[in-house]
Amino acid sequence: MRKKRKDVNTITTKKYFARYWQLYLMLLLPLLYFLVFKYAPMIGNVLAFRRYRPGMGAWGTEWVGLTYFRRFFGDPAFWRAFRNTLILSLINLVINFPIPIIFAILVNEIRHLAFKRVVQTVSYMPRFISTVVVIAILGELLSPSSGIINILRERLFGLEAIYFMNDSKYFRMIYVLVDTWQYTGWTAIIYLAAITGIPSDLYEAATIDGANKAQQIMFVTIPSIMPTIMVMLILNVGRLLSLGFEKVLLMYTPDNSMVSDIIDTLVYRTGLANQNYSYATAIGLFSGLIGIVLVAGSNSLSKRLTGDGIY
Amino acid sequence: MKKTLLISLLLIMTVALTLSAQGVQEKKSEGPIKFSLYYSDNATLPFKQDWLTVTEVQKRVNADVEFEVIPIADYQTKVSLALNTGTNAPDVILYQSTKGENAALALNGALVPISDYKEWTPHFNARVKEFGIEEDVAQLNLKDGKRYFLPALFDVPFYDGGLILREDLLKKYNLKAPKTYDELYDVLKVFKKNNPSSYPLTILAGPRVLYRMTMPAWGISLGKNGASGTNTLSWDYEAKRYFPGAISEEYKSYISFFHKLYAEGLLDPEMAEPIDGDKWSQKLATGKSLATYAYYDQIGGVTATSNIPGFKLEMYPALAGPAGAHHQPKSKTGSGIVFPYKTSKRADFEQLVKTVDEMFFSTENSTIWCLGVEGITYNMKGGKVEFVPEILNSSEGIYKSLQVKYGCGSDVTQMVWVNAREMTKYDANYARINKEVEAMGNVIQAIPPNAKFDDRQAEDAGSLQTPLSDAFERWNSAFLTGSKDIDRDWNAYVSEMKNLGIEKFAALYNDNL
Amino acid sequence: MRQYKTRSNFLFNLFVNLVMLTSLLLCLIPFVYMIALSLSSPKAIINNEVFLWPKGFTLESYLQIFNYPNFFHAYGNTILYTFVGTGISLAMMILFAYPLSKTRLKGQKALMKLVIFSMFFTGGLIPNYLLVSSLGLINTRWAMLLPFAINQFNLILLINFFRTIPEDMEEAAIIDGLDYFGILLKIILPLSGAALATVGLYTAVFFWNDWFNGLIYLKSSQFPVMLFLRNIVTGTSMVGDAAGAGDKTTIAISIKSAVIITSTLPIIVLYPFLQRYFVKGIMIGAVKG
Repeated sequence: MRKKRKDVNTITTKKYFARYWQLYLMLLLPLLYFLVFKYAPMIGNVLAFRRYRPGMGAWGTEWVGLTYFRRFFGDPAFWRAFRNTLILSLINLVINFPIPIIFAILVNEIRHLAFKRVVQTVSYMPRFISTVVVIAILGELLSPSSGIINILRERLFGLEAIYFMNDSKYFRMIYVLVDTWQYTGWTAIIYLAAITGIPSDLYEAATIDGANKAQQIMFVTIPSIMPTIMVMLILNVGRLLSLGFEKVLLMYTPDNSMVSDIIDTLVYRTGLANQNYSYATAIGLFSGLIGIVLVAGSNSLSKRLTGDGIY
Repeated sequence: MKKTLLISLLLIMTVALTLSAQGVQEKKSEGPIKFSLYYSDNATLPFKQDWLTVTEVQKRVNADVEFEVIPIADYQTKVSLALNTGTNAPDVILYQSTKGENAALALNGALVPISDYKEWTPHFNARVKEFGIEEDVAQLNLKDGKRYFLPALFDVPFYDGGLILREDLLKKYNLKAPKTYDELYDVLKVFKKNNPSSYPLTILAGPRVLYRMTMPAWGISLGKNGASGTNTLSWDYEAKRYFPGAISEEYKSYISFFHKLYAEGLLDPEMAEPIDGDKWSQKLATGKSLATYAYYDQIGGVTATSNIPGFKLEMYPALAGPAGAHHQPKSKTGSGIVFPYKTSKRADFEQLVKTVDEMFFSTENSTIWCLGVEGITYNMKGGKVEFVPEILNSSEGIYKSLQVKYGCGSDVTQMVWVNAREMTKYDANYARINKEVEAMGNVIQAIPPNAKFDDRQAEDAGSLQTPLSDAFERWNSAFLTGSKDIDRDWNAYVSEMKNLGIEKFAALYNDNL
Repeated sequence: MRQYKTRSNFLFNLFVNLVMLTSLLLCLIPFVYMIALSLSSPKAIINNEVFLWPKGFTLESYLQIFNYPNFFHAYGNTILYTFVGTGISLAMMILFAYPLSKTRLKGQKALMKLVIFSMFFTGGLIPNYLLVSSLGLINTRWAMLLPFAINQFNLILLINFFRTIPEDMEEAAIIDGLDYFGILLKIILPLSGAALATVGLYTAVFFWNDWFNGLIYLKSSQFPVMLFLRNIVTGTSMVGDAAGAGDKTTIAISIKSAVIITSTLPIIVLYPFLQRYFVKGIMIGAVKG
């Protein structure tokens, strides 16, 4: 009995490779690439546990155990930055995750083809304006002395000027809205591509059943692009600890620092005073660990709820 | 689709082949000495291989230099990587000092201790002696008593920026040029009264420019560009020690003064973010602001664009505060040349160092880096420099025109700065102000000495510095705008700074001078 | 096709068009503003006279950029990196994504985990540099192309797209005597126009904008143009903070705007060209045919 099963297995394995060897051949080169370019440099993470001294070798000089982890775990500034990162990311996710989906669906509903193409192209353009310039323009719009927003508030409502860019109350809102503006069209491309793949007979069937536009979107479009939505959601959840560093840095002022100091800006400032690779590596490792946990968690949750996941 | 794919594959392969054919070839010959060099490139002054200065100097010292031109914004990243890994480092790196990470790199053997090779740098030694700045140069030694770079040298520091005011308005309102901060306050008051919608005093590039130019009159220098680089400590020039400037009475008096300006609408409320050059010019040119702390070079541009009749900006000597009339402290040494350790392994290392020394520090060549070549850019008439008409009459001014067209006066390549010689490149007014400032005595104090840390101490100091600096910036801004009351909240602030170890931080510096 | 059959559909269309028009304006105005700035005289800009139309028309800003030493050479570098980089990248990603899109394939799950793991743990700057250095790629253009041949995010997108192609089509092809390479070339790729266009666009934009890897791995004659342009746009705002010397020199907003226009226009016009792959019904047509 036992012997027989083993035989069956070997036969199927043989057969299996006879059938699929080409697929394995295909992934050979990319796999090699991953091992060389993505995995080999990971040895660098030993620096989180070793002391790096500039000019004395890339892998550090001696083992220091968890010294660097202890340093940031014990640092209230780190935990504040950690909390700020999470809050800003979550707000950003809640608002800026659905918007590109809605945008893509609406673009897809434009009947006039030329208009549709123009909207598609133009909405993708903000992605290309350098963050420095975006923040500079924003600073001008929101300036307490010369900004159009404050002038309007004053003329129309007689309100006092607000220094938006320096007020911690407005920092998160501004960050999130700038993100909406910069990335909606860019991210929507993915959903537009997914919508392209929906067979049109599904819509025809829905029309025959008497569904109006809104119902078609609810019962045809969204379910059809659900796998894409879920994959994007999982990836986004995994990236909760990484925010637009440059943007935050440019918007950072001492007055809003209590909410605007994120992990990346803290590491940056620490690095300015004293280039400390080991400390930065330790924080990077910690962030990576959290990212992996978040992805694994959301992936299994997604699989249980919708049947879709990344792996 | 398949066709496109095939074509693109073909394309890739062709390009790949052409790429791999471009191997690096190194020729060996008896000709000029060859070496590679990192150059920090500023976008306002883009490097040109064929600048007169660059070609002429190479010719005179018989060198063939491979310039690696790296944008300034990313220069330190590139340099840091080259020095940290040691591989692929160039032979020479310009625009470096041994502050911060470089100190650790130097002490751990990544840089050549150039002070060990004194006899190979005769020109540098001669200039140091000429200027009488041996002590200033000796201050650059690290903990092991060695110096790891050839700094740029200055005989007398420049007064290149300071208080800039609308001179036409001073006249109009019958005011005298301010000599003290109290007089400045009165002037700004009058400006505000006559121009109620303006914020008379504005800032350039964030408050740091204002702070670094004004704080020394109170005997402190703090913040992002504080003279010592510690952010929260200041140097006591009499006791020759560091003290916790951020919690001193001097600072309390300083911030009270500026809070007063802020509260009365005399100071631009847009203090927190960087105000870039354009916005700054806009405020001044349109009369939204009437005074500023900025640089002399920038006056011309604003004046040229303003539509206000009679618009005239003028720069004034440093004002007196409680600690006397002092401007931003300056060093008589600047960023200079380092040699990565690898370079010392070259067979011709001696010749290389000698060539570099001659190239940048000899009287002849340092004059070229400053003025260009005699007979082409200038002539000597009765011992005086006279620039050729093309430069003299150029619309952008002598200084800028020499920079852009010939590569003169770039702080990356000019290593020898003689104040009087520099003044020939500016208008008489600028020279007059500099003379005036020089006559006032010790307006521009020396930069306080760097603590001599090894890399472990530097790490300790670094981990104290960031939280202290963060807290200071936050409180400073709050005091300025009045969201915290200077009298009521001062003790809370001081105790927070003490909890963060400001006294320990000062001691760490004082113990390692 | 489908017409406005009901009143609710009419209202719906009105709503769609209004929303789209608003977002169109929101995205377009800053661009028009920057074009206007780039074509205006500094004097007009400083006196606050420019909004959506240039004042004191001048091409000075553009001439100044074109006069930067090696500007066109660097531009050529960028175009080369974008084309070759995207080509290599697409080829590698297709080869990896197709097998990984088959959930029944043995080892597929492990490989997916390998990909995802590498998204969160990287080696850091120095180890990456040493790797590229030990492969002998420093100062060669390969250093710009190879280390970033696969972006995990784009790869996962592609895998996800491939998964939506019905499996029974493959079964039929195998019966017709096609092997997997044949299926990939003749069936999968022709059906994945929109997906390849999307991933290709994302990859091209990455290579187009990448300056950091150029900075650390290449010598200055090989630098992509973005490195210079970035320096013009962000130069002083990043450096000034630490150095102080940067405060003295500023670059006019007209030049910054001209830089943004010159550096983004070519990559922006790429999208309209790719839009023909975003056509509904390709897939269904192929299934039926």
